Amino acid sequence: MNTIISTSSLTKHYGRVHALDGLDLRVDEGQVHGFLGPNGAGKSTTIRILLGLARATGGEASVFGQDPWRSAVTLHRRIAYVPGDVSIWPNLTGGESIDVLARLRGASRQDAAYRDDKQRLMEEFQFDPRTKGRAYSKGNRQKVALIAALAVPADLYILDEPTSGLDPLMEVVFRREMARMKDAGATVLLSSHILSEVELLCDRVSIIRAGRVVETGTLAELRHLTRTEVSFEATDAATAAGIPGAHDVSVSEGRARFTVDSDQVTAALPELARLHVAGLRVEPPSLEELFLRHYGDDRTDRNGDGTASAGGATLRRDRVRQR
Amino acid sequence: MNTFAILLRQRIRRDRWQLLMWIAGTALLAYVTYVGVTGSYGTQQDRQALLATAIANPVIMLFRGLPSGADEGAFIAFLIFPFLAMLAAFMSSFLAVRHTRMDEELGRAELVASTPAGRTVPLLATLAHGVIANVALGILTALALIATGLAPAGSFVAGLGAGAVGVAFLGVGLLAGQLMRTSRGANALAVWVLLITFLFAGIGNALGTPTSDLQRIESSLLTWFSPFGWGENSRPFADDNVWPLLLCVLFGLALAGLSVALQSSRDLGGSLVPERRGRADAGTALAGPTPLVWRLTRGSILGWCVGGLLTGLLATSLAGVLRDVTVELPSVEAILDAISSSGSIEQGAVVIFFEVLGILAACCAVQTVCRARQEEAHGTAEPVLATPVDRVRWLAGYAIVGFAGIVLVAAAAVVGAVAGLARPDSDWNLLGDVLVVAAGQVLAASVFLVLTALVFVLAPRLTIPLGWTLVLLAMVLGLFGPLFGFPDWLIHVAPIAVAPTVTGDGVDVRGLWWLVLAVTAIGIAAGGLMRRRELAPAG
Repeated sequence: MNTIISTSSLTKHYGRVHALDGLDLRVDEGQVHGFLGPNGAGKSTTIRILLGLARATGGEASVFGQDPWRSAVTLHRRIAYVPGDVSIWPNLTGGESIDVLARLRGASRQDAAYRDDKQRLMEEFQFDPRTKGRAYSKGNRQKVALIAALAVPADLYILDEPTSGLDPLMEVVFRREMARMKDAGATVLLSSHILSEVELLCDRVSIIRAGRVVETGTLAELRHLTRTEVSFEATDAATAAGIPGAHDVSVSEGRARFTVDSDQVTAALPELARLHVAGLRVEPPSLEELFLRHYGDDRTDRNGDGTASAGGATLRRDRVRQR
Repeated sequence: MNTFAILLRQRIRRDRWQLLMWIAGTALLAYVTYVGVTGSYGTQQDRQALLATAIANPVIMLFRGLPSGADEGAFIAFLIFPFLAMLAAFMSSFLAVRHTRMDEELGRAELVASTPAGRTVPLLATLAHGVIANVALGILTALALIATGLAPAGSFVAGLGAGAVGVAFLGVGLLAGQLMRTSRGANALAVWVLLITFLFAGIGNALGTPTSDLQRIESSLLTWFSPFGWGENSRPFADDNVWPLLLCVLFGLALAGLSVALQSSRDLGGSLVPERRGRADAGTALAGPTPLVWRLTRGSILGWCVGGLLTGLLATSLAGVLRDVTVELPSVEAILDAISSSGSIEQGAVVIFFEVLGILAACCAVQTVCRARQEEAHGTAEPVLATPVDRVRWLAGYAIVGFAGIVLVAAAAVVGAVAGLARPDSDWNLLGDVLVVAAGQVLAASVFLVLTALVFVLAPRLTIPLGWTLVLLAMVLGLFGPLFGFPDWLIHVAPIAVAPTVTGDGVDVRGLWWLVLAVTAIGIAAGGLMRRRELAPAG
């Protein structure tokens, strides 16, 4: 399988700030690769280098086997890009902005395929093309960039937080379009900090923190690194104490909880059956957990929903145990 | 009233450094002018001679104030008052738009309006903020003039007069903010009103009635349609007349009142001039990076072209007025003979006005290149550069459109000049002179185009401040340098002052080859360095 994107020991310094600090990333052909990290971890810097908009301070980067800085224009013929923070021209209408970007990427005016695609996407995303750019909300600006990127076929899609600002219905439309890209054999680098999105869409995931990739692999591979949480109705922690492989046993709100290594879940089941536990719940490890393991102590950058904080609690316990 | 005080404090805090620079800059200009002028025109005779020359030459009258005698104070007011008032006017109209329409456009006004402050208190706070800024400007300018030893009463009339004109344009800015949907549109409207009324005052004075000793002019009616004209008619140090200043303040307050009425009756985010819906698809011409630049900048280029047209029109049409004056007043004729030794007075008018045109064309070029920086900072350059568009080609788009802008502004001026010549008794030989000086100024303005492009490549964050500073510097050195008595070598640093021109004997190429060399070398350097330049987003 061909490697589409590869970087090794990539560094980028802005004065004393080390935005990238030895980043190794590999994306193979036909892959949807999740690029996961909090704000400021270096996702957008990496993307700018891959697009030849910024030059690496050190290390190697190649896209389709070419140097992205020197061959930027050649490479851009094969790439579609959605920026993280989409700005559009205030005095052009949304429809005009889409056309400008698509034509720069080589769509011609007579191109019926482009016109049809644009029309279809505008309907799918429920986009009004006649409003001036300055009047669009964040979600609508995002739609401009998405439609312009998707309406002209590309070999590589680089999407920097593509669903930020979209409502849940539009996220569904976006997922459908992602499936189309994948079926067409395209490669996708999807940067995100929305875990459910990555979990749903990506074949492989790289987690970036402070300018380096700290974890990479398929979702299945990464799950080995996490624990499954098991809980059932009980009032006494002793009930769960004898279960093989159980860690971090606790009781709260009338439920006993413990975690177990994800590949050891089956070993715990016979004992649970013997105890005739009620209200058994086995929660598979989520990417959330994996993510929080690397960022769990950065209190400020996550304030997720209930499951996120539950996962966070587990992780913090994990950390304590490891030390 | 509590919300009012909070909002007023917030405005003062937000603007403190910016306003300090405007106010201190205005006071400093007043002080420096006194020092420069007393150096060059120390005696009463010098000043009388200059006043007589100025009154005889409508071209000079256009960019100066109202002559009220050759005493030191009155003379200073004649030279500098319109510019003090202009600074106050720019400060005030930008201030008004910044705190009303811009806040509204960026959604901040919505946040504030949802509190007990409501929709109109922010507007009233902006009004108070602007009035305070103008009072401060007036007092500081007056103190600067008093520090030079001028009479306190006249100093206060001059300083507060500038502030009063500022209040008038505070009203203009507030109303523009109500009428237009965007801050860009509101600022453009206010600036156009400002420039046109500035010209009204100048033309009105030029067409006014001079006294026989050529020391004083009674403004014609046109001057009275302009806040600048009202301010000038206070005649600081000569008459110290306060009622025209009250007219300025009342005008400003009336427009502010109208703005309050509009604000309280319209929806937040709405405007009297509505935003139209546009086309769903881009026109066929809008394909490629250079047509995109043209689309983004054509509005402002058109604006500079209108300026060029007016400049060209004045350059040739005022020559006719000039001749009438010389017929009526023999004393004027003598002076004209003296200053037109190297060519006819008509030629002189064309040369001076086309130096102004050079500045306008340079402004057009600098603004176009600055747009490249704005695109980069606002994030709209990134998606374009992520398509198969080369970095150098992208910047070249701005240079090409900038140069086209320069040529269009110059062409508009030539058209204006032709229109100005369209009288039965015109000397059509002047058209040849017009073409020569226009071509020369195209070259001079191109220097600013490539210089700003080079700054953009090397120090992106400085593009906008440095680009405009260069133009301002050229204006001060090239246009006002001779008046302030700067040495020739310093004046000739300004490209507009060394561009090919005409004299009584024919064409003088002056710095033609230097300018060509500078444009080529800097242009090539900017292109070459752009090849190695990264995207430099804001922040």
